[in-house]
Amino acid sequence: MAIVVLPPALRAAVEGSERVQVKAENIRELMSTLRERFPLLEETLDAGPAVSIDGEIIADPFLEKLEPDSEVHFLPQIGGG
Amino acid sequence: MSEKKLKYVGTRPIRHDGVDKVLGKANFGADLNLPGMLHGKILRSPHAHAKIISINTAKAEALDGVLAVITGDDFPPPPSGKGSVEGPQDFGDMARNVMAREKALYTGHAIAAVAATTTRIAEIALKAIEVEYEVLEPVMTLERALAPDAPILHEEMRAKGEEPLPEGPTNVATRTVMGFGDVDEGFSSADVVVEREFTTETVHQGYIEPHAVVARSISDGRAEVYCCTQGQFMVRKYCSKVLDMDPTQIKVTASEIGGGFGGKTVVYAEPVSIVLARKSGRPVKIVMSREEVFIATGPTSGSHIRVKIGVKNDGTITAADATLNYEAGAFKGSPVMAGMMTIFSPYRMDHVRIEGFDVVVNKPKVAAYRAPGAPMAAFATEGVMDELASQLGMDPVDLRLVNAVKEGDTAAYGPKFKVHGFIDTLQAVKNHPHYKAPLGPNQGRGIACGFWFNAGMQSSANVILNEDGNATVVTGNPDIGGSRTSMALMAAEELGIPVDKIRPVVADTESVGYSDLTGGSRVTFATGMAVVEAAKDVVRQLRERAAQTWDVSVDDVEWRDGHAVAMNGHADDHEPLSVAALAGSAAKTGGPISGRASLNARGPGPGFATHICDVEVDKETGRVSVLRYTAVQDVGRAIHPSYVEGQMQGGAVQGIGWALNEAYMYDEKGKLQNPSFLDYRMPVASDMPMIDTVIVEVPNPTHPYGVRGVGETPIVPPLPAVAHAVNQATGVRFRSLPISPPRVLAALDD
Amino acid sequence: MPLENEGEDWRMLDAQYISPRSVAEAVEALKGGGKDAMVLAGGTDLLVQARTGLRDPRLYVDLKRIPDLMALDISSKGLHLGASVPAAQIFENEDMKALYPGLTEAVDLIGSTQIQGRATVGGNLCNGSPAADTVPSLLVLEAICVIAGSEGERRVPASEFTTGPGETVLRPGEFLVRIEIPAPSKGAADAYLRFIPRTEMDIAVVGAAVSLTLDSSGCCEAASVALGAVAPTAILVEGAASALIGSTLDEAALERAGSAAYEAAQPIDDKRGTAEYRRRVASVLTQRSARMAAERARGRN
Ligand SMILES: Cc1cc2nc3c(=O)[nH]c(=O)nc-3n(C[C@H](O)[C@H](O)[C@H](O)COP(=O)(O)OP(=O)(O)OC[C@H]3O[C@@H](n4cnc5c(N)ncnc54)[C@H](O)[C@@H]3O)c2cc1C
Repeated sequence: MAIVVLPPALRAAVEGSERVQVKAENIRELMSTLRERFPLLEETLDAGPAVSIDGEIIADPFLEKLEPDSEVHFLPQIGGG
Repeated sequence: MSEKKLKYVGTRPIRHDGVDKVLGKANFGADLNLPGMLHGKILRSPHAHAKIISINTAKAEALDGVLAVITGDDFPPPPSGKGSVEGPQDFGDMARNVMAREKALYTGHAIAAVAATTTRIAEIALKAIEVEYEVLEPVMTLERALAPDAPILHEEMRAKGEEPLPEGPTNVATRTVMGFGDVDEGFSSADVVVEREFTTETVHQGYIEPHAVVARSISDGRAEVYCCTQGQFMVRKYCSKVLDMDPTQIKVTASEIGGGFGGKTVVYAEPVSIVLARKSGRPVKIVMSREEVFIATGPTSGSHIRVKIGVKNDGTITAADATLNYEAGAFKGSPVMAGMMTIFSPYRMDHVRIEGFDVVVNKPKVAAYRAPGAPMAAFATEGVMDELASQLGMDPVDLRLVNAVKEGDTAAYGPKFKVHGFIDTLQAVKNHPHYKAPLGPNQGRGIACGFWFNAGMQSSANVILNEDGNATVVTGNPDIGGSRTSMALMAAEELGIPVDKIRPVVADTESVGYSDLTGGSRVTFATGMAVVEAAKDVVRQLRERAAQTWDVSVDDVEWRDGHAVAMNGHADDHEPLSVAALAGSAAKTGGPISGRASLNARGPGPGFATHICDVEVDKETGRVSVLRYTAVQDVGRAIHPSYVEGQMQGGAVQGIGWALNEAYMYDEKGKLQNPSFLDYRMPVASDMPMIDTVIVEVPNPTHPYGVRGVGETPIVPPLPAVAHAVNQATGVRFRSLPISPPRVLAALDD
Repeated sequence: MPLENEGEDWRMLDAQYISPRSVAEAVEALKGGGKDAMVLAGGTDLLVQARTGLRDPRLYVDLKRIPDLMALDISSKGLHLGASVPAAQIFENEDMKALYPGLTEAVDLIGSTQIQGRATVGGNLCNGSPAADTVPSLLVLEAICVIAGSEGERRVPASEFTTGPGETVLRPGEFLVRIEIPAPSKGAADAYLRFIPRTEMDIAVVGAAVSLTLDSSGCCEAASVALGAVAPTAILVEGAASALIGSTLDEAALERAGSAAYEAAQPIDDKRGTAEYRRRVASVLTQRSARMAAERARGRN
């Protein structure tokens, strides 16, 4: 099960928890499972966040593979100069 | 990671565009003139905050030589709803920034524009445009913006993320909180806690080339744009959003670029020139003056940051807490988020809380500036770390070494770090002769660290093999820091041909696949990846041609040092075939050979740097001179070491300028007092010592040559490094930038 | 309104330009051009002002082809410096360095190598900027300005030449021909220092020129102190001069001169520095400049 770690602002959407476990092979699956389980996350997920999977930041996540113990964070899109 | 010995990567050939540039023959934004071309000028608001009651353009239109006058009414309605926001960009705001609609939100905000046969007529026409304003109180500081009775910039703005959501309008666009653990618990276990407040002023990137554009409108509704920009595809997309056109209708060619540093990552005059060209039926050129660049393009945020850090007596951090307020300028979207995500990231901690506010004020909308948001954050954190080190009686590098994040440590913004060379930079500093060199009277030394994420994103490349065996490498990224040659070096390595046999080309939007802009320290990393893949595609085809020529299996052909070599028992039957031989016979072995790649680059490695700065302070005048400066950075791998050093030096110098003398100075009405390089005191060459560089190479495993981004990290440490050096020289802690002579003298008096 | 020349630099293209070969021709040209005519020396102030729209002359009268204005003569009587002599020619002149080191340093401070190929002392003075770097030196060296016009020649001391920011005693149609400076007496030397936050390409926050004469015992017989950028025009600070005269330039005398400079300065708060800061720096630079001048003067005795 991949572990999704949520920033304080999003915890209300997942009943207050900092971490939720999601069974998913890849990021797309993880996102759609999250949408189903936590409809309040929809706005965040629609905004097209960046993610980090085990520390690797991905600005446009799609089908990235997840390991059974992968840690996933949602991050805001950061503009570079 | 290729472990083989590299022949071209890591060498320092002369850049392909160098001769044209030193001879003054390279074409920059303002260098294009088209037959029948008109000159466009933009009327700018004289008020920092005003309602636009009416605009009368009749007198201007009546002038001979004026072919078009436009206002906000000539643009489609600003985008709203779905699709109007993409990442940090809100295209509705962008449309209003390009041409004001209901309100003028900063002195310099575009109100109307004209196209005329000469710049003089255009200027006379601007004066003939009558605008009626209802002048409002300007909001020029964070303090004023946050006051309960502050004038409001945007009636519909509510502080998103504030709980509960405010009922009335605010100048706070968003409030964000992040962190983990329990900071109260963390601070209660600390032996020493330091809490301080820091401020920085609005500063500009100060690129030497002002924005310039020539637009041509073509009869079927298409438009062609030539401009200096960090991204031709960005200009295409943003113009299409602001003007409600299909991106395919717009062709954008990027000129050579005289600096950007993030400031050329959005559009200003480009959509205006398209609308003028459409209305006048003639090509229209707009070249900004230096003053326009200062008052109406995007500087970076002024900031107020509070940082509190607790440590054990051995230096271990127990907790950290910060509040960041960043000015966004006239529209939401300061880099406060990046400030929050970088502020504590160099250090390991179990308890952290970070709160940030994105605040609008009546100044130009900020744009990206080299590691946007990070330098001010580092100024605050490093300032507190430096003070903690002296309170603990610890060497400042040792305090960092105790806390520095390693691979696998959790960053304060959440995720775990992958491999990087932060500790290597700290050790390199400790071992550097500079760190131990003696100091004279009134001299001081400071060190500071910096972190930046670096970006990946989308890139495309074509590698075309020509019949003479030379190759053309086509990408969609304007070359700001020597990236053409870096692309050529990586292609040379893959193909096995000398770098001068490769012609790197920056293509227009119709000649190469989509590429995100040159920014985020991404080009050598991401576009480099695309070039390597495209070159590998060429090598694969070359091996196939050789296999077919020799009538062997492609598995029996290896690519070695620019030659197809027969293997597995065929070696004696066939002399190796060179690139030139295979290219020369391509017509007869299946046709032209070219490779392509388009990708979304994953895994840009984090960038860390540690800088050492020595200063001398003239205690009678308050003048600070930088005597010696050493920048140490983990760059992954230096493809072209000179350009890597150039980035490190340039970033350091910009940071030193920010620390010492640069600042936007506004009067009480919100008019900028120093919109010129005379009074906006960016450093000049003679102000700087030679910036020494130490390249640390801890390869980034996701890049074929180990590249991590380089360009932005080096602007992060200088702000605090300079402040710490001044502290050592004077005994005074400067927590407000700039550390300008009058401020130094005043502080020495206290 | 008629269509004008196409092009970016319209101000250059549609204005008239002439380059007279004598003072008389220049006088004629200015008369003809009326109030829209301006004289052009190096153009390093004027063309910048024209490009930003601050000034809009319709006729440029170039003063760089008039032999009298391009001459630099040093004789036993002193210096005759033509108003159009470029800065580079002045500070490369060994006699200038030896006789008027302070003025030469001031000239050397103007702009960059490119600017110095064109910029002139005449332009620096006639532009009327309170921060002009050569003016304090001209004041302490008791320079005389020789002016030509349709009424003939007249002579005005440099200390009376500038009347306010951007304003001078020049009447319409008049221009500066040359600056005359007496030969330095035995034991005399000058110095000039300016403060800028950067090292070059900046405008003086404060400038301080000092000229002194020391007798063989090292006692100060005569002194003159002038400050730039702290008042509407460069000013002579008599209090500072009298603090130095009669002293051996000991610390106490220098401090008194510094205090006099502090008191005499009437700067404003602006983007280049606060008033208090400028007064402080005026005091510091006065002392440093006096020390430098004294050092030089001792070498000459
Ligand atoms: C990049 C840069 C850096 C600079 N740095 C400095 C500096 O460090 N210190 C400093 O003091 N200045 C500086 N300046 C300003 C300028 O270079 C000097 O004031 C210079 O001495 C002007 O001389 P000019 O011959 O170019 O004058 P011009 O521009 O030709 O003329 C200036 C004004 O004087 C008038 N004028 C010129 N000659 C005469 C004459 N003979 N009779 C009557 N009127 C005349 C002109 O009509 C005009 O109004 C700088 C300028 C630039 C562009």
